[in-house]
Amino acid sequence: MDEFNDNQITKLLRLKRYEQPPPGYFDNFLHEFHRRQRDELLRQPLWRICVDRARDFAFSFNLSTLTSYPVAVTAVLVCAAVISLKIYQTPQPATVAVKDQQVLVVPASAEPEWTLASPAATRVFNTRSLRNMTESAQTHRSGTPRYVLDSVPVSYETTFKF
Amino acid sequence: MDQPRTDEDQQLVARTQEGDASAFDQLVVKYTPRLYGLVYNMTSNHEDTNDLLQDIFAKAYKAIRGFRGKSSFYTWIHSIAVNMTLNFLKKRGRRFQLSLDDVDASIQNDKEFLEATASTSPVREADLSELQKRLNEAMMKLSDEHRAVVTMFHIQGMPHAEISKILRVSEGTVRSRLFYANRQLQNYLDEFRKNPVT
Repeated sequence: MDEFNDNQITKLLRLKRYEQPPPGYFDNFLHEFHRRQRDELLRQPLWRICVDRARDFAFSFNLSTLTSYPVAVTAVLVCAAVISLKIYQTPQPATVAVKDQQVLVVPASAEPEWTLASPAATRVFNTRSLRNMTESAQTHRSGTPRYVLDSVPVSYETTFKF
Repeated sequence: MDQPRTDEDQQLVARTQEGDASAFDQLVVKYTPRLYGLVYNMTSNHEDTNDLLQDIFAKAYKAIRGFRGKSSFYTWIHSIAVNMTLNFLKKRGRRFQLSLDDVDASIQNDKEFLEATASTSPVREADLSELQKRLNEAMMKLSDEHRAVVTMFHIQGMPHAEISKILRVSEGTVRSRLFYANRQLQNYLDEFRKNPVT
């Protein structure tokens, strides 16, 4: 008995092209296709329909050509993002509160006073007119350093008694 | 099986891309019989074939705006059909759903069929319907990829080059798969001839 060869198998397989669907199948296929398309459309949520419409609108302007240059589009988007960040991060000019320069004015009467009441030879500054409450609040913010000796510590030495 | 005129397809595709749905309907009507044979011989099930065909055309309609014409519409739609069918078969697994064992009665009166089953052929000794059934079973024993190649080459009559474009493999791969599939089919049918099932 002969065996099947390639040619015979080929002929047998080619016969399968005659296998056809039930009669009328191809006539109804397009109607079935339309029906399924409508059903699928009705099942879609509203947002999906809107997205599809927007996409179709974009395609109508031939924006799809941009997608053929994804690297270029990405580069443009990255550049735009960087530039926008730079703009938002530009430092504002520093606003420095300008205060009146408080010049320490030592009145002429502020002579050192030597008093015998002091138990020790202590120089007492007259601080009466040097500061007031409002000035003291501004002292720390003035431009030039200002050292104010508010009071002289008393000596802890025992007083001499004659 | 000759390819359809590509310029006519291009016009229909262009009209579809411009929003003319009737142009796509013409493409559906034109390609349904051809794709039916492809999908049916890969799935061996009419209901699966029908569902797949609907999905294939639905997917093609959605994707046709992105079709740039780098290949012909013929190649493009066949690629979609083959890929979707292969994915379907992977999901379906290897369960055997042979429904094309009922050979169309009109085949037995066909000239080509009579020539193929003429004298000096071992086919003559076998019951033709049984042989066709065995052939279908042998087809289903092939892997999905091999069955796709056999379907496109032997049944649909596509050239190797076209099959390689559709499957995106080299022509050498197509020829290799064909050779292997033919050997498998040959062995299976020889086994049937030696041990016919009554």
